[in-house]
Amino acid sequence: MIEHPDSREHDHDHQAVPSDPALRVRALESLLVEKGLVDPAALDVLVDLYENKVGPRNGARVVARAWIDPEFKRRLLADGSAAIAELGFSGQQGEKLTVVENTESVHNLIVCTLCSCYPWPLLGLPPIWYKSSAYRARTVIDPRGVLRELGLDVGDDVEVRVWDSNAASRYLVLPEQPRGTETLDEAALAALVTRDAMIGVARIALPGGERS
Amino acid sequence: MNGIHDMGGMHGLGEIGYRPNDVAFHAAWECRVHALVTALAAYGKWRALRPDIEAIPAAEYLRMSYYERWLAALTARIVKSGLASRAELEHGAADPKRGRSAPALTAETAGTVPLQTPRTELAAGAEPRFRVGQRVRGANLNPPTHTRMPRYTRGRVGVVERVRGVFALPDNEVYFRDPKPQHVYLVRFAARELWGAGAAARDSVYIDLWQDYLEPA
Repeated sequence: MIEHPDSREHDHDHQAVPSDPALRVRALESLLVEKGLVDPAALDVLVDLYENKVGPRNGARVVARAWIDPEFKRRLLADGSAAIAELGFSGQQGEKLTVVENTESVHNLIVCTLCSCYPWPLLGLPPIWYKSSAYRARTVIDPRGVLRELGLDVGDDVEVRVWDSNAASRYLVLPEQPRGTETLDEAALAALVTRDAMIGVARIALPGGERS
Repeated sequence: MNGIHDMGGMHGLGEIGYRPNDVAFHAAWECRVHALVTALAAYGKWRALRPDIEAIPAAEYLRMSYYERWLAALTARIVKSGLASRAELEHGAADPKRGRSAPALTAETAGTVPLQTPRTELAAGAEPRFRVGQRVRGANLNPPTHTRMPRYTRGRVGVVERVRGVFALPDNEVYFRDPKPQHVYLVRFAARELWGAGAAARDSVYIDLWQDYLEPA
């Protein structure tokens, strides 16, 4: 999940030497290890967990299952945490998971205005833009403007529901299944589902590149 | 608290910086901070770092990156909780008089503990004060401390969509005060109620609010 240095766009990333926080973190970690408070091998396990094991592929499996199995979808919409546990998904920031369904007439969009609440067990850790001040500030007051800026036009006839997830629940958007994908199997459907569609800022693109 | 972190509805906070396949971390040290927070949280000496993040002075908060805030809050919390002293952090060396601990999270437990869903819902006690479909108003509360009630809901009228169950009140719980278990409600606010006639008529904002944050409308 760490981007390659060449792909960095933000000014403060252009540093040849380790940035100040990098040095401070190294010093902090070494002190905590010296004090016996932290096992560096445990940190490696945690980094690996959120880089390689817990991520949007989990959420995509949940969405694909909901698309092919109406009974699972019903359970998912009724009690998200219980339904994803059926597929083996659980964990921190997965409590009281609420899944909200996009339809022809309703578009759902998730934000955390106070901080960065996000359904880790299904999507991993949030992308940088999700934690930006501007996304947190603008999404509740101008969701259509934010979506347009991110490349998604929502028609005037569609109701936009913004979910400010800063309390007891975490949220996941169940995107609309693209037309023409009814014959695909679960794995092929899961491969179509993107993280940003499950946050509600993108639609699912069809395999040919066309957007549904 | 009426802090800079309570951003919902503000203007002038720069670019979203959206990229379709964006990553979670700018740099390797940020993953390490994330891991350190999880590893040290296992001692149970704090409920959340959010109050410490929110206590960062506004100008600093805006200047810092997301994980710089985590690092500042974690460092503050390490000292306040007594896991390490300010002097140890400044010198980068353990004080031999303070003794050695055993890690709360080991390589074995680090792979499983984060995959356990925390049980945050408490046993139901009193009946919920509000019912589904009832109109409620955000109370005029201005605590100078941690709260999960964003200021944009204050004084605004919404409708209860769901009764979520009973949860500890974060305003108290994060400080280890009386957790005041109470019902949480999913409340729908019409966009026009929050932002006026310029908002789209059919749009709305949904948010979970604790009973203490609400009054009948």
